[in-house]
Amino acid sequence: MTTNTLISNLTRLIFYIGIQIVFFRSLVLFNVSFCFIYVGAILALPKETSHTYLILISFVTGLMVDAFYNTMGMHAAAMTLIGYLRPYLLLLITPQRGYEEKSEFSINSMGFIWYITYAGILVMIHHFCLFFLELGSFSLFFTTLLKIFSSFLFTIFMIIIFQYFSKK
Amino acid sequence: MNELFLFISRSRAFLIFAFLEIFALYCVYRFNNYGNAILFNTTTSLVAKAVKTQNAAIRYTKLNDINESLAQENLRLNAQLLQIQNKIALDSNNLKLDSAITSRLTLQYAEAINFTTNQRNNYITIDKGTNHGIKPNMAVISASGAVGKVKMCSANMSLVTSILHSENLVSSKLKKSGTLGSVKWEGLNPKTVELLYIDIYEVIQKGDTVLTSDINSVYPRNIMVGRVKSVKKGQQFLNITVDLSTDFKNLAYVYVVKDALIDEKNGLESSINNPKK
Repeated sequence: MTTNTLISNLTRLIFYIGIQIVFFRSLVLFNVSFCFIYVGAILALPKETSHTYLILISFVTGLMVDAFYNTMGMHAAAMTLIGYLRPYLLLLITPQRGYEEKSEFSINSMGFIWYITYAGILVMIHHFCLFFLELGSFSLFFTTLLKIFSSFLFTIFMIIIFQYFSKK
Repeated sequence: MNELFLFISRSRAFLIFAFLEIFALYCVYRFNNYGNAILFNTTTSLVAKAVKTQNAAIRYTKLNDINESLAQENLRLNAQLLQIQNKIALDSNNLKLDSAITSRLTLQYAEAINFTTNQRNNYITIDKGTNHGIKPNMAVISASGAVGKVKMCSANMSLVTSILHSENLVSSKLKKSGTLGSVKWEGLNPKTVELLYIDIYEVIQKGDTVLTSDINSVYPRNIMVGRVKSVKKGQQFLNITVDLSTDFKNLAYVYVVKDALIDEKNGLESSINNPKK
């Protein structure tokens, strides 16, 4: 990884966490729809990021968000899981041409359908993990499912919007 | 031995994942209980600084509402003061109350700099801490009603467990009949809570006032909780929904209640519970 990509990835990570904390933390639609845009920063890390770094970065990101939400460990657990699963998912949904040497994971370079599958699966895993950890029991099962799906739509929508904005 | 190292090196991603995941889950288990402190939270100095700055910026957009609610509160307090003054003037024999009772409760105002209303367990961060004499388990109220209780304090910040917390039950009573019950948040709507354990034979009407009870270990008595929104018959108890009087979504200023006799009370109670000491 060159210094240039390192800096650009780090900037993006900080930007996503920042905007999560400052803006999306207080934006909840209809009491059920949350937006966890910071997941997008992990999705966008380049393919050559080593697996261990990916897990570590995910964990630290989760921990930082946790501190602001007063939910010690929940975001960290969800993020560590998707950080771990990402390389396996990439193997599973390899496009026909295979990945290029320096694949950027964006709608621009990988196509809309591929990106939606990729982001959708990871965001869904993240949300399931997060909301059921938060619940701590199965007492509000259907409410939580509603929260998961509405937040899923909101998060995916925002991640895609951000993709188009960061287009060069 | 060499193979062991090779194995570790090959599966290091999984090992790191397993370690961090277990650590995170341990944190969830250990720090998100009702009783336990949270390791990193919004009272941790760096995080607190960030939320404070953010709050200072957002506050400007809310100033109108805040002024309005403060004016309302002044109005209410002035009316009450007039009433009390009249009462004292009418009382011919000027009795003096024991100062230990009259000055038992004091209030410390604080600014709510960070709060959530939509998580399963919600907390409020306030900008006063142990330096201002705040301790865990003190009651927090707003101009319009009960808010929560202090969970933990740093030097200049405190974390308050909101009534909107899955395990924070408030001992309450109905103003009309004095019947005791518990107020508990059901987890979705931040404007309503449920009033539990009210017997099915009680007569309760929409709009009845719910106050904190006299046997409450946290709140002072007769603090407004809310008004009854709807009543439905259940198996053994009534299912009562209560409209909260505190608007948790627009919380700005709160009061922390300091009880001068709390140590004495706790000391007495613990001496009963542990008679050997």
